[in-house]
Amino acid sequence: MNKADKIFIGLVVISAILLYIPLFIQDSQNKHKQKEVVVDYQNEEILRVDLNKDETYRVQASLGEVQIEVKDGAVRVEKETSPYHLCSIQGWVKDTGRPIICLPNELVVQIEANETGEDDVDTVIQ
Amino acid sequence: MKTKQMMNITMLIAISILFHLIEATIPLPLPIPGFKLGLANIVGLVALYLYNAKVMLSVNMMRVLLASLMRGILFSPGFWLSLCGVLLSSIAAICAKRNTSMTIFGVSCASSAFHVVGQVIAVTIIYNQFLMGALLPILLLLSIPTGLLTGFFANQVLKRIQTER
Repeated sequence: MNKADKIFIGLVVISAILLYIPLFIQDSQNKHKQKEVVVDYQNEEILRVDLNKDETYRVQASLGEVQIEVKDGAVRVEKETSPYHLCSIQGWVKDTGRPIICLPNELVVQIEANETGEDDVDTVIQ
Repeated sequence: MKTKQMMNITMLIAISILFHLIEATIPLPLPIPGFKLGLANIVGLVALYLYNAKVMLSVNMMRVLLASLMRGILFSPGFWLSLCGVLLSSIAAICAKRNTSMTIFGVSCASSAFHVVGQVIAVTIIYNQFLMGALLPILLLLSIPTGLLTGFFANQVLKRIQTER
């Protein structure tokens, strides 16, 4: 390894960190908003539920039924049919920046901050 | 001489197809979609350093085409992801070797980093969503150790091939 190699590696690491900053900022902004779980299948929204309500949902995807579990303000893919089971290995997710993507099933599970949440309601006293 | 070179290139393509197919069957140590070791890139790098840029491009393109044909995913989304990644990574490796003073380790890192970028671009275009952008930083960071690993292997292979000549 020479100097040019190290410079290149440094550049990649710095750009990775820079790319992470907007996600981090977005996440801290959404911290106190009401959150929702959104499930997309083939780019179309098929399910939108409250993150604070514990329940298990079943949806149909490309390779069969997918079970999505919501518990204690976090969401995970419980059971699914796919070659490597990447999305169920990924486990619980509770931030907005990290979607669970299951490409073989063409399914995306993501947490979104509710824009019309309690934060938007202002109290007006006359 | 011409025939011998052609034979060697064919052998390289055969080995890289084998690596590509083996890699698809190994379970991944990390639960991140899109993360893999990039073993097939060892052969691409060997082709680049033994012959020239043209040979590397043809080895990589033939590898993706034939391996996809064997797995039965030709022209499916998975094939386009592979193709986009391999195109960008080959171009990055060729540019890095030609225009900078990087060693094989740096060239390997460049090619693996740009493979990630190419795949994320392909996912964004095909599935029409920016969600993979959230995984880009992690994949970029992981591409450095895997790039160094493939660079190390390619270096060892080149040492042994050149002493035999």
